[in-house]
Parts: sequence; structure tokens; C-alpha cells
Amino acid sequence: MRRPVSQRNASLCTGREGLFLLSLLMMCCLPLRAADQTDAAGERFFENRIRPVLVQHCYACHSSRAKTLEGELRLDHRNGIRKGGESGPAVVPGDVKKSLLISALRYDGFEMPPKKQLPASVVADFVKWIEMGAPDPRDANAAAVSGIDVEAGRSFWAYRPLVKPVVTPEMAHGAETTIDALVLAQLKKAGLSQGPVAARVVLVRRLYFDLTGLPPTPSQIDEFLEDNSPDAYERLVDRLLSSPRFGERWGRHWLDVVRYAESITLRGFLFPEAWRYRDYVIDAFNADQSFADFIGEQIAGDLLPADSLQERHRNLVATTFLTMGNNNLEDQDKGKLRMDVVDEQLETIGRGFLAQTIGCARCHDHKFDPIPTRDYYALAGILRSTKTLNHENVSKWIELPLPLEPGREAELNKREKEIRTLQAQINKLKGNTKTGKGLPPLPLNEVPGIVVDDEQAELTGSWLRSRSVSSYVGSGYQHDQGADKGAKTATFRPTDALDGEYEVRFAYTSSSNRSPEVPVTVHSATGEKTVTINQTKKPPIDGRFISLGRYQFKPGKPCKVMLSNQGTSAVLIIDAVQFLPVKLADQKPVVKKPAGKKATKPKPDAKELAALEKRLKQLQAQTPPRAKYMTVEEEEEIEDTKIHLRGSVHALGETVPRGFLQVLSNGPTAKISNKESGRRELGAWIAAAENPLTRRVLANRLWHWLFGSGLVRTVDNFGITGEQPSHPELLDYLAVRLLEEDWSVKMVLREIVLSRTYRLSSQPVAESLAVDPENRLLWRMSPRRLEAENLLDTMLMISGQLSLEIGGPMLRKGTANDYSYQHDGERRAVYWPVLRNSLPDIFQVFDFANPSMVTGRRDVSSTSSQGLFMLNNPWVIKQAEQAGIRLLEQTQWDDRQRLQWLIRATLGRPATEKELDLTLTFVESASADEDARRLKWAQVVQALFSSLDFRYNR
Amino acid sequence: MSLLTINRRQALKVSACGFGHLALSGLLNSKATAAPVNPLSARKPHFQPRAKRVIFLFMQGGVSHVDSFDYKPLLAKKNGETLSFDDARVIANTGKRGSSQKIMKELWKFRQHGQCGRWASDLFPEMAQHVDKMCMLHSMHTEGVAHGPATLFLHTGATNFVRPSMGSWINYGLGSESDDLPGFISICPSPGNGGARNYGTAFLPPVYQGTPIGSAGKPAADTTIRDLVNRRYELSQQREQFELLRSLNAEQLKRNPDDANLESVVSSLELAWRMQNNAPGVLDFSNESAATLKMYGVDEKETNDFGRQCLMARRFCEAGVRYIQVTYGDGSANPAWDQHSNMPKHAMHARRVDKPIAALLTDLQQRGLLEDTIVWWGGEFGRTPYAQNNGTGRDHNPDGFTVWLAGGGVKSGYAYGATDEFGHKAMTNKTHMHDLHATILHLLGINHERLTYRYSGRDFRLTDVHGHVVKDILV
Repeated sequence: MRRPVSQRNASLCTGREGLFLLSLLMMCCLPLRAADQTDAAGERFFENRIRPVLVQHCYACHSSRAKTLEGELRLDHRNGIRKGGESGPAVVPGDVKKSLLISALRYDGFEMPPKKQLPASVVADFVKWIEMGAPDPRDANAAAVSGIDVEAGRSFWAYRPLVKPVVTPEMAHGAETTIDALVLAQLKKAGLSQGPVAARVVLVRRLYFDLTGLPPTPSQIDEFLEDNSPDAYERLVDRLLSSPRFGERWGRHWLDVVRYAESITLRGFLFPEAWRYRDYVIDAFNADQSFADFIGEQIAGDLLPADSLQERHRNLVATTFLTMGNNNLEDQDKGKLRMDVVDEQLETIGRGFLAQTIGCARCHDHKFDPIPTRDYYALAGILRSTKTLNHENVSKWIELPLPLEPGREAELNKREKEIRTLQAQINKLKGNTKTGKGLPPLPLNEVPGIVVDDEQAELTGSWLRSRSVSSYVGSGYQHDQGADKGAKTATFRPTDALDGEYEVRFAYTSSSNRSPEVPVTVHSATGEKTVTINQTKKPPIDGRFISLGRYQFKPGKPCKVMLSNQGTSAVLIIDAVQFLPVKLADQKPVVKKPAGKKATKPKPDAKELAALEKRLKQLQAQTPPRAKYMTVEEEEEIEDTKIHLRGSVHALGETVPRGFLQVLSNGPTAKISNKESGRRELGAWIAAAENPLTRRVLANRLWHWLFGSGLVRTVDNFGITGEQPSHPELLDYLAVRLLEEDWSVKMVLREIVLSRTYRLSSQPVAESLAVDPENRLLWRMSPRRLEAENLLDTMLMISGQLSLEIGGPMLRKGTANDYSYQHDGERRAVYWPVLRNSLPDIFQVFDFANPSMVTGRRDVSSTSSQGLFMLNNPWVIKQAEQAGIRLLEQTQWDDRQRLQWLIRATLGRPATEKELDLTLTFVESASADEDARRLKWAQVVQALFSSLDFRYNR
Repeated sequence: MSLLTINRRQALKVSACGFGHLALSGLLNSKATAAPVNPLSARKPHFQPRAKRVIFLFMQGGVSHVDSFDYKPLLAKKNGETLSFDDARVIANTGKRGSSQKIMKELWKFRQHGQCGRWASDLFPEMAQHVDKMCMLHSMHTEGVAHGPATLFLHTGATNFVRPSMGSWINYGLGSESDDLPGFISICPSPGNGGARNYGTAFLPPVYQGTPIGSAGKPAADTTIRDLVNRRYELSQQREQFELLRSLNAEQLKRNPDDANLESVVSSLELAWRMQNNAPGVLDFSNESAATLKMYGVDEKETNDFGRQCLMARRFCEAGVRYIQVTYGDGSANPAWDQHSNMPKHAMHARRVDKPIAALLTDLQQRGLLEDTIVWWGGEFGRTPYAQNNGTGRDHNPDGFTVWLAGGGVKSGYAYGATDEFGHKAMTNKTHMHDLHATILHLLGINHERLTYRYSGRDFRLTDVHGHVVKDILV
């Protein structure tokens, strides 16, 4: 019986030293089975000249015995060499040019073999062989499929379909809820049991912190303790779930996952509109929005239908999710930057929603999980068809105006138009008042065709407005001050789509201090063309314009004129770009007398000017700037993406149709519209009822945020390198419950916090501690450290300063960048600006989520800087002082009563006798002097802030 | 910012702390041990180290190597001639090779110095006196044409992705030698071009983050560790308060016995209190001799700031801080060493750093610290040998530049590698930034391929999948 060559290879030879022997062996035995395929001569040629080379120089990396198959290319069977790998066919019989193998051997593009180029005679043999039609007597197909077996991957626990566990009567015995039954079943197996339920005074503080992020006040504690009705706890749960504080707490959890930030580290650029997204998230949690919709909106809100303007706003703002990556906008290799942005988005989507490390597949098939490189580029195609940045020297994220009610929209349009007209009139008048040299200004409405003025251009870097040379178009022109060469760009883009042939003209004002070599690039339907113009020379057309040539424009194809001051040596001017239909351009220019000749005659009317300016001011005051939001747009070209070999944007392989992860897709391949990027379909696929992973991941996150530890502790990694679930049935149960409750987060949280497992005491039980020190089996509630936000909010609350105002922009007006931002205020921590270069001190010190990466689980550290912060930070001391003053103002109380209240407010429980003694002795050691007393009271409050029971949620 | 985690008794068996990965020891034994470990306690390196600590003198921006340490006589001969070069920025922007550039000769006169006869220009006359201590790497090349990417690459080995900084990796690998101070301190870092990411931990546990003290552009005399000093209470008052806190915590601990996590919180307070009482001494120059202060140029107009920074670095070095970065930079988004249109301004920057750096080398040697300290001087990239903007400046050049190392385990009075005859591209013995990172880790006893951290499903390294130790420069 014949065994495939590759298998024999494997059994015969493992090391390099065997190669020669092997090739000899094959040369001896293989010609026997070739006659039916090729003529004898071609076959001999292959066996004598080609195969030995392949075996000796190529198989180590490109055959079944390659340790890791490089480039998905196999050269050890006929179909493999013809189909090729990621880059395309290695051999095309009869076509040397199309055969990548030849260019690789010639070291043209690829360089193979990588160590040393083969002699020219060998290359010539291969050329000859291909010209002969590449006779190849080997097996057509590979013996075994290498690479990833997606089908087998589906059996991994995370990808399996959800199964609602059956709770047998035996399991249900002694269990209060299904959750408890599932937990108890596993404890029983380990021979353990659960301890007692926590005291009510502990429970009330736990529930307040977990659901709202704030502790109960002493009176709220009393209220609960005094409520003896059987459903007191349940009613408290419902009350807290419906409190607006709930969204502030749980929205912040989600903001950790989506690397929410209001600035970017590069140059400290601010995201002034990011707060809208923060408010959107808080609203979504408060409204208990279906999490499936929440997913869809964040990925594709801009593409979704909306029933109302309000819903449209929500949908649009949700897409800020995609834009907050901490990208290096300055990267000069824009092709690479574009892929880096896509990668960042895939990482966030993958880890955030699916707990999958998709990014691993950017350069090679995932080493551990069933995610082939193809899947990565199938997803990447969707995000590459989405525009996240406008690329310039320093690329820029996208901000768009929020749509208004149609009536308001029309009204605002009218006003804005009026403002523009007024400005034009004023400029005209002002222009006329000048006795400037040269031509008078040309109003925009007198320029035929479509004109984009410098004021409408997209600019990067600082440009200075000027009117010194009067021959400008519109209300003036701008120049680069001859400085920061390479850092300034201007892009002129018509607002309407152009269709047809146009002459493109560029307006500038000339002078001897201008740059003589300004490169201007026109992007048209047929490509890019750069024209160099000399701005020291007077513009040839009407003294204002120079023609850049004629171009074809098509809707949906690029249409813009770009220039940069890169490489220019002196002052660079931008004034306007005119797109003139060729018909108009071909008309004999009507020699129009310069409008100015007539216009200069009438005396400038100072009165008229003043009236116009007054009217303009009025109008501007009445016309608020349009509210904007951060978002993405669909790319001009929707297209599938090529595999990037080893992740490089400069080595492209075959094109992969847009799609999703195969391991999570049963049934036929997804159909993605050619008219849209595919984000809508992506959102729907992630949130599909058939996708078990998304709900497992979400259910696990909810558990983690309540218990401090997920059922799968690697909350952002459900892959093979992640952990297995401690309670797989419980996880599935919660995931099923999510679907049953129509993706209601609140309903599932409610069920969890009502379980006995959640209500357990955190006191350790010696036997259980010995068997399960990490409490993986949930024999108690794990004590949890308060997070930065809890500390900040609670200190503000106790100082009496806390403001419960909801939402809105928080960055101080006039902030130019995020360097050394001074954080302060009385708002809840969730509203404090998340600035990547200047986090609030308390965030930095107390393990706040790194706002540049997906953080489902925060670190819990104990550091000296935490100690220093609690002991010495002026903000902490200020809160302690305020709290002290507030207490001293309670003249109806004596010191003991004050301390009783304070300890209940800070620690959430009555003071122990010892605590009362200690603190009372401390405050009473002060003299009667008011300042001395205040100081002691501030110090006692601060000491309680630093104490253990304050820092923990038990 | 996060400093020391201290509780030596703390048992890691309760893993809520998140210290899942204990660098070297933890990775070498695949099963994590339950032994009590402080994530910052000093750890054994992979092999015998040649140095214990690093001082990185970061020249923010790019110092022109052809005007300082990389002498190219051809530039003077061809001065003003227009020739074709593969300009890194032009290639990144347009993909086009070959652009016309006008050669600009060096602006400072080169002379030979020291016993090794190394060429150095008059730009850094004081540093030039120390060439016998230095190991020049003339064949450096790196990634990133613009400041943002290049600065991040220098510090984290990645131009765009959020990755741990080099100091954090070292802190993670080796821990701290000091009980009272953090293991990684960045003195006056610049907020620009990556800012906090340049001393950040990214996905490494936050305890390994660099502690920034002061900020570029602000007076170095005001530099201190955040919240190190209490500005509200007298020491006696605070002592009483701390005693109250101790008693309260003792009482609360009694109610929750056997909880290692609680003890770690108590310890963080105790350490903070110790630091507050001991660490300010490190920042206090009052016991430095007048001669030392003078040597560093403290209180002289041009050198006061950088002189103080360098002196601070020596003091941190003595106190056992593992990785100290000293930045000569700018508080704005524009780096200091960035003369696109005004090369002569290099002289001003040089006057500010030259004397303090020379003093640091002298001082370290006198105190015997240079033997096991690596001093690394360099910037993000070099500058072009041809002119930019009216012929008065030079653009960035990531394809060839010079850095020098001195001290622990590197050859002294030595030069490695070379650029082409114009000083444009590294040609001989090319040394990539990844290679420099690998080499510095090697000097510290770390195998850069084995210093890994598992995150997001895979093991990450400072050097990614690259980096070769430059064995040739090792003693």
C-alpha cells in the first residue's frame, strides 16, 4: 500500500542530516508512479532538477514536517504548490511571471530561501520547468491538513452551545435558589458547605456599594435594620436597582472594558465630546437597555434605523466606542497606522464582547485558539471599510454635528447661511476700505463651479489668517508662518459629490516671501497626482488661480485636494480650491472687469459696516455652535481586505471576504452587504441568540463585578490560555437567563444578589479556608477592597460635599491639552475626566483601569503610594477637615455621639467600645481652642478613612 | 503611580492581589509557588549580571550625531552639494526612495580625545573629556520617523501599541533593592510624546510602574515624590494621628484575623510612614559638599536644573533604585533636541547638559558606582547629514545615529559599528533599538527572550520577537 510521501518523510527522517538521504531515496522510488500524469521527460526533469531542490531548501518550512508552516504555503504536493499560500499561487504552469516561486528565488519581493540565494542555474531550471507546464508527478493533495482545525475547535467549552442545567430535586434540597443549588452541588463534591449569611448591617453596606457604588448613610442603615418585613431585602434590591446611582456604578464597569478616555497620550490631545459616550453608557445601564441592542449600537449605531431623534442621537453617540483607541496619530506610515487602528478595534471588540484574543491572528494563525489568520482579516475587512481617522501628518479622529429636529435644522441652516452672507458683506466692505495693492477680494458667490474656501478646509497645525494681499477669494487666506515644516496640512474637500470631468484650480496670493515649490495633490477617481506650484509667481488665471489640471470625479471615489508644508522652504499660502466643470472652463473667459474697480469708488460706509457687524454679533450669539459627537464613518470604498503577511502592510496576500469567526459560526458563511462596511452584521452576529460566547462573557463579567472574581477569572480571555470556569453549569445558567430576560442586566443581577450565595458572610471558616483558600467554590463571600471611585465618592459624601448631579461635560473650559490637569470638584468619580496623561491622583494610586486597554478585571495592589496618599494628600485632608467641621456644627450632639455617627458613616457599622475609646481620647486631648479641636476632628476623620474597615466591602 | 508593596509576610496564596506572575522565579517554575513573596523584593537574575542598575540620560528629541560624536569629514568636503538620499520621512509619507538633499557640514569642530583618540566635537567639550569611559554605538537605528512613535519605541519597544516601558520590565524582572524607594524612578519626564506611557506598565501589574518625580519644564529644585510630605500637620501632630490609626487598625484586624490582604494594607501605611520619615533625605542635597554641587553646576543658571537631576540620579543610585531615567526635555509637545530650522540652538541645550553629565560620570567613578551602574546616553534618533528648511536645520534620522554607554560591563574607550560615509544610515554592525534593549537587559543578567509576561493569551517581551545582544561591546 502506498503511503503519502510526507508521512514517510516523517518516519524516516527528522533532522537536517537526513535530507540528502531522503532526496536520494525519493529519487529512486518515486518515478514509478508518474506516467499517468505527465510525459516522461518532464517528469524526469522534475525529479532530477526540481524535487531535490524543494526537498533540500524548502520543505523545512513548507511541508507537512515543517514545525510551523510558514505563510500557509506547502510545496510538498501538487495542489499545494499551485494553490500557493497567503500570497497567492507559487507556481502557475506555463506562466513564469505569475509564479511567485520564481520571484522569491530571484529575491524579488520575497527572498527565498532566506539564508542564501540559490545559484542562477537552479533558478533557470525552475523557470524552464514552469515553462514546460510544471509537470508534477506528486500526489495532488496533502496527506493531512495542517494548521487550525476549526471544526475541532468548536468542542472547546466556551464555544459549545448553551445548555440550561437541570436542577434535580436532590440538588434543590436545601438550596434557596437555582444559583445556590448549582453552587452547593460543587461544594458538596469537595466535601464543603456554605457558612452563615452575613449580618444585615453588613449586607446593607455590601448591597449599596455593589449596586450604587456609594455606602448607605447611617439613616439608610437604620431604615433597613428597622424594616422587619420578610421582603425588606428584596425591596431594597429593587430600590437600588432603580436608583440613578446604579447606572453610575455599573456604567463605570463597562467604561473599564471599553478603555474609555477623554484624551490621547500623544500630545495630550483632548476628546472634548467623549463624555457623551460616558453618559450614553450610564443611561443604558439605568434604563436597563437590552444588552444586545447596546452591543449593536456601539459597533454600528450610525447604520441603524431610529424611531426618534433621541434614539438616533443615542445610536450615533454609541459609536464613540470605536474611536477611543490610544492611537499614535503621528505615525508617518499611514498604511500601517490604518491597520493598527483596525487592530486596536478588533482587540477591544474581541476581548470586550467575546473575551477572545483575536489580535494574535494578525501575523499568523492563532497559536492556541481556533482563530485562523483568515478570520482576522475577514473581521479586519469590516473595520477597514470603516473610517476612524482622517489621515494627515497628524491624523485626526472624526467629530460630526449631532442631527437636529428637521425644523431646528432648517432654522439653523438658515441662520448659518445668514451669518456667512453677513460675513461676506462685511468682508467686502472692509476689503474696500483697504487701499491694498493688487486686486480686490473676490466673493465666494462670484466664483463659478464648486469652491472650497480655506475656511472650509480641514487643517492640521496652526495656520494664520491674513488679508495683507487683497487678491484673495472669500474672506481672506491663511499661511503657515513659514514654520513647523511638515506639521501642517490642509485638505479641501467639496461637500457635494462631484461627477464628471473638472478643472481643478488652486487660489493663492503671491509674494516674494512665498514658497517656490509647493506640492499640491489632487485625489480623483483615477488616482493621485501631485502638482508643484510656485507661490512667488502671480497666479496665472485672473491673478488668483492656477490650474492643477483636469480630473475625473465619481461619487464614492476620492475627491480632495491636499497639501502639506512638508518640504516647502518659505511661507505657504492656502486660499481656495475651485472645481470647475470642464464645460465652464472651456468657455471663453468673459473679461469681467475686476469687481473692485467699481466697488472701490464708493466711500466705505462706516455706518453700514457697524450695523452689519452688530447684526452679525447678534446672530452669532443666538446661534449656538452645533453639538458634536465622536464617531466613525463608512469608508468611501467598501472592500474586502487582503491577508497581511506576518502582519506587515507591505506584504499582501490573498483577499479574504468580510466575515466573522468561523469557530462561532455554524451554518453558511455570513452574507455581508457590498454597500456597507458590515459593522451592522458584525454587531448582530456578536449579539445573536445563537452565539453562546457573548452571553457567557457578559454573565461572567456581571458575576465578577459582584463577587470580585469571575466564574472564569480571566474575564477578558475565554481562550485556551484563559482559565476554565469554576462553575460551568452556573455560567451557562446565567447566560441562558440573560436571553430569557431579553438581555436584561438588571434582572440577572437581581437574581444573583437575591441568592444566598451572594448574601453569605465573608468570615472565614477554618476547614473551608484550608481546602479552598481562594474561595473558588464560593463557601463565603470574598471581602473586596473598595475601588478608587468608591473611596472618592465616599470621602466626598462624608465631607458633605458630594454632588449627585448627573452627566454633562466635565473638562474645564479653556483646557488646551491634558498635561498636568488639576482635578477637583464635588461630582462623583465617574464624571471626573479620564485623561491619559493626567489621571486624578486617587485613580493612579488605587488601581484604576488602564484607560488604554480593555480591563475587565482591575488589579488590587497595596502600595506605599496608597499609604502616602491617605496620610498626606491635600485633597484627602480637605475632605477630612470639611467632615470635621460638619460634625462640630452638630451642636445637639456631644463628642461621643458625633463619633458614633462618624464611625457608622465611614465603616457602616456601630463603633466598637475600643474604637470609641480611642477616638474619644484623641479628640478630647485637644485644648478647648476651636482651631485645635477642628484639627483633631479632621485628623480623626482622616484616620478612619485610612482604617481597614473603611477600605473594605465585606 | 504605585510604589512599593511591602508586606514581606503577605501570603500570595490568596491571589486577589493579582500578582499572578512573578517574573523570573514564577516563570521558571511553571507552578506558581505559594511562598510569601513581595512583588518588589529583589529577585535573582537569569545569570550573573555585570551591572545592577541603569541611569538613562534621555536627550528628548534627536541630538545630531554628525555634529557631536560621529565624525564624517566628507560632509565638509561636499558641503552645499545636492545629492540623492533615501530620506526616512519622505519614504514613510510617500514610499518614494531618493530625494534631493543638500549636504550640511558639521557645525562644531571635531577633535580627538582621550587615550582612545575618539573623535568628539566641541558641542560637548566636557563630555569629550570622558571618552575613555564610554562605549560609543555609532550604528544605531530605530523605528518611527516622528517623535511620538520613536519616543514610544525607545521606551517600550513598540511605536503604537500600549506596551510596558523598559524600566517597568526591569522592575518586574529584578525587583527593587531599596526598602524605602521605588525601583523605577523617572526624573522630570516630559508629558509629551507618549507621556505617562513612557514609564507606564501597560499590562504588567501596576506595582512595576515608574514613579515620575517632577516634570520637564518645571524647576528641578521643586521635584519631589508625590504626597511624601505632609503640608498640613506638624510632625508631632501627625505622629499622634498615626498612633491612633495604628490602634484602630489593630482593633479592626482583631475582628478579622488571618487575613493576609488586610495586613498588606496595614503594611502599605507603615511603609508610607517610613518613607515619609526617611526618603526626603535622598532628595535633600544639604549634605553634599560645595565642590560636588559646583561640579554638577547646581545653582548655576544654565545647569541648575539638569545638574540637580543628575545629582538626584546619583543619590537614587546609591539608595538602590534599579532604573533611573533622567530626562532633558521640554514641557511642551516639542522636544528639546529638535532643531529643524536652527541647528546652532543645539549649543544652548549642550551647555545645559554637558557639565552635569560629565560630573555624573566623574562622581559615579569616584564613588565606585560606575562599576555596576550602566549609564546610557541617547535620544530617540539622530539627525540628517543634510539640511532642512533654508539650510539651517536638520530633520530626524532614525536610520543612523549614536548613543553611548558607560560603566557596568561595557568596554570603555570603545566604539562599535559605523554609519555610511555621510553619517546617514547605519552600515557596519548595525544595532537596532531592540538590540540595545536586549543588551542592557543582558548586562543586568536578564535573558531578553525569557523576560516574558503572559497577557491576552500570549507571552510578551520588551523585544517582541527581535533583539540580539551586542556581545562585542561586553567586557
